[in-house]
Amino acid sequence: MYETSDIKNGLKVEMDGYPWTVVYFQFVKPGKGTAFTRTKFKNLMTGNVVERTLRTGERLTPADVAEDNMTYLYNDGEMYTFMNDETFDQVAIQATVLGDDKQWLLEQMKVRVLFYKSRPVNMELPTFIDIVVKYTEPATKGNTSQGALKTAEFESGATAMVPLFIETGDTIRIDTRTGEYCERMIKK
Amino acid sequence: MTPDPSGLRARATVLRALRNWFADHGYLEVPTPVLVPSPAMEPTLFAVAAQGGFLRTSPEFALKRVLASGLPRIYEIGPCFRDREHGGWHGREFTMLEWYRAGASLPDLMDEVESLVNAAADALNRPRPGRWSRQTVRELFRDHTGVDLAHATAAEISPLDPEDWDGAFFRRWVSDVEPKIKTPTFIDEWPASQAALAEVRAWRRWPVACRFEAFVGGVELANAFLELGDPADQRARFEHSIDAMRRDGERPHPLDESLIDAVGRIPPTAGIAMGVDRLVAVLCGWSGIGPGRVD
Repeated sequence: MYETSDIKNGLKVEMDGYPWTVVYFQFVKPGKGTAFTRTKFKNLMTGNVVERTLRTGERLTPADVAEDNMTYLYNDGEMYTFMNDETFDQVAIQATVLGDDKQWLLEQMKVRVLFYKSRPVNMELPTFIDIVVKYTEPATKGNTSQGALKTAEFESGATAMVPLFIETGDTIRIDTRTGEYCERMIKK
Repeated sequence: MTPDPSGLRARATVLRALRNWFADHGYLEVPTPVLVPSPAMEPTLFAVAAQGGFLRTSPEFALKRVLASGLPRIYEIGPCFRDREHGGWHGREFTMLEWYRAGASLPDLMDEVESLVNAAADALNRPRPGRWSRQTVRELFRDHTGVDLAHATAAEISPLDPEDWDGAFFRRWVSDVEPKIKTPTFIDEWPASQAALAEVRAWRRWPVACRFEAFVGGVELANAFLELGDPADQRARFEHSIDAMRRDGERPHPLDESLIDAVGRIPPTAGIAMGVDRLVAVLCGWSGIGPGRVD
C-alpha cells in the first residue's frame, strides 16, 4: 500500500476498479486541522480526471500496471497487432481500446502500451509523427490568403488541416496530442 | 535549492517593514527561547524533539508569560518548527510573527493585520491586497457546500468521515471551501471544538471560538485568538489534548504548568500569529514560499 507521503506525479494507483495516475498533488494543512493531500488522478483507461482530498494516514492501493515499448505491425479489422520490443511477443489489441489515436498508426511505428492486470488498456503514440500526404487539393493559383487551410488525407486514413502550400506526396509533421499540422519535413 | 537573491531581498524588506510597523505602534520586540520544555499541545501539531526538550511550534507559551509580567504590547519574529509539514506552502522550519495586545478586540487585530500587510506591500513596492471582507465559517460553508454546520452531522458534511466531526469539517473545508476564498478575507466564528487557546462563546446556540484566520491570495496567513484567561479551562483543554494524542498513538507532551499559571494572570488580550514566509510569498505573487527562503 502507498501512504500519502508516497504521492508524487506519475504514481499509479487503483481506485473504484480503475487504474489512475497522479497528475497533481498539494500538501495542505489548515492551522487547527489535520494534514491532507489534495490530489488529482487521471483515469488511465478513460482519461477522466478526478480530485480527491486524502487525509494523512489514508492509504492507496498500487495499480497492477505495466508499460511496454511496442511496435505496430498490422490490423485486420477489429484487432490491431503489436510486437513487444523486448520479448518479441505479439499482442492483438481491440480497436475500441486504441480510440481515436489508431488513425495515426503506421506500420513499424514505435508506441507505448499500458497493461492493467496484464490486459492492454491504453496506447501512447509518439508526440510527433512524420507522415506522407496521400492526397490534398492542388493549390489554387492566386489564393495566397494568410492562414488559409485545406484538408489533407494520409495513408493511415486520418485527415488534418494543412496550409495551402502542402502538396500530395509531401511529408509533414503532426502533433498527435491535438492532431494538428506542425511543419513540412520533405517536399515531394 | 539554490538561494534566490531577489527573493531574499524581498524577505529582508518585509522583515524591516514589520519591525518598523511594530516600533511605530508601541510594540516591544521580545525574543523567547526556541528550545522549550513543552511545545504546543494541539493534537494536529507535531514538535521536533531536541535533546531534553523540543523545538517550539510557536512562541505562544513564552509570550503569554511575558504578557503576564505586565508588558501590554509585545511581539516576536523568529523560527518555529512543525514536524510532518512540507509542501509548497509549508516548511518544517518557518518564520513566525506573533503579537499580543492587552485590551484589544478581534476587530482591533483585523485593523492591525490590514495596516501591517499594507505596510509590507508598500515597502516591497507591490500592490496592496485590496479590500478585505469578513465572513463566518458557517456562512462560507453554507455558500460553498449548502451545509449548515450548526445542524449537520459528520456524515452529512463528509460521507468519508462519519465518526469524526472535525475531520469531516476539515476534509470538506480543504476540498470545497478554502479553494473558493480568493480575496482578502477575515474568517471568524470557528467551531468551538477548534478553539485551541481561544475564548469560546459557549452560550450561543452554536458555540463558536473567538478566533479568526486571515486569508490573502487563497493562503491562510494568520490566526488570531481572544486569549483564554481561565486557568482551569486551560488545564482541562490540555488534558483533553493529551487524551487525543494518546488515542492517535502519539506521545503526549509534558503539561506546561508555568503557562497555566500565566493564563490566570494575563489581562484580557487578543493575540495573533502570522507566517512571515507566506506573507512575503503572497505579496510577491509567488506560487509558494520557496523563493524567500534558504532551503
